[in-house]
Amino acid sequence: MQSKYTDTELITRSLAGDQAAYADLIRRHQRFVFTLALRFAKTREDAEEIAQDCFVKAYRSLQSFNGEAKFSTWLYSIVYTTAMTFLRKKRLDTSSIDDENTYLQIENKPGGFDGDLAEQKSRSYYLNKAIEQLLPDDAMVITLFYKGEQSLEEIGQAMGIEPNNVKVKLFRARQRLKERLELTLKHEVNELI
Amino acid sequence: MNSVEEKIWNYIDGNCSPDEQQAMDILIATDDVYKRKYHELSKLNIEFSCMMELDEPSMGFGYKVMETIRTENAMKPLKATIDKRIIKGIAAFFVVSIVTLLVFALINVSWTNTNSTNTLLSGQDIKIPQLGNYLNGTVLKVFILFDIVLALFLADGYLRKKLNNRQTQ
Repeated sequence: MQSKYTDTELITRSLAGDQAAYADLIRRHQRFVFTLALRFAKTREDAEEIAQDCFVKAYRSLQSFNGEAKFSTWLYSIVYTTAMTFLRKKRLDTSSIDDENTYLQIENKPGGFDGDLAEQKSRSYYLNKAIEQLLPDDAMVITLFYKGEQSLEEIGQAMGIEPNNVKVKLFRARQRLKERLELTLKHEVNELI
Repeated sequence: MNSVEEKIWNYIDGNCSPDEQQAMDILIATDDVYKRKYHELSKLNIEFSCMMELDEPSMGFGYKVMETIRTENAMKPLKATIDKRIIKGIAAFFVVSIVTLLVFALINVSWTNTNSTNTLLSGQDIKIPQLGNYLNGTVLKVFILFDIVLALFLADGYLRKKLNNRQTQ
């Protein structure tokens, strides 16, 4: 159940010691934070660890949140730095767009009962599969832009880069995603034949 | 902006200036390359925004985070959890006491007596309490009892520490 309070109200209540308010904030943002973490970690366990770490860090430094930016933007900047630190620490083999031998560890099996839903699920499945094969930075830009309701400036704030660089990154990420999508679907067509 | 694709993405995102937008409108309407590319990228844009799905963490995710926060709060050292107002109150008490004593001492000094230059140093006008009046038998007994209790307390702490060290070894 989503809280009726705004992010700012929940933050004020959390700062006053109301832990239930912070639990509401977690519930509201956990899916997005987890998805972003998954763009870097590739396994659900590691992504949960990153996401958990982000919410704990955010709680610790909640007092430093001045409200100049959106809470989500501030939170995504924590996700980005935490995920980058995690990658550096674990030295994960991140999937490159040029790496043809990349494989997926996450099973998002498409489900559905009627034809339309199955087709829609399938399209969604392949799109998400293609995103997972992008470089973490590209996947993050794409996700923040399309699902995070973040402007180029806000994405720049979250990732610590200039909005113009975000624009360039977004363009390249879209191109790579398009290429990856074409490649994935081509394989799928071959499999069907 | 160089390539056709870059220009069209910019147009779709609404990042063009009014002039650029007008120019793009004309190009899309008249140029086949732009028209085809525009339709292709618009479709892709809709696909990206509608078909992208967010993943769900495990059921107990929120609970786990809150548990970590609660554990961290419980492990905070005592000095970090003490209310700062208490520390400020104690500090204020000492400051007020020192200022009161200082004022009291200054009031009791005879500033007008100029006959002798050594008045202040000789301490003739400063009322020094006679300590001998207060040091009777009862005070001494209380003082010694306090010392014994303090010594026992410190000895207890020392012996406990020693015992703990032996147990951990």
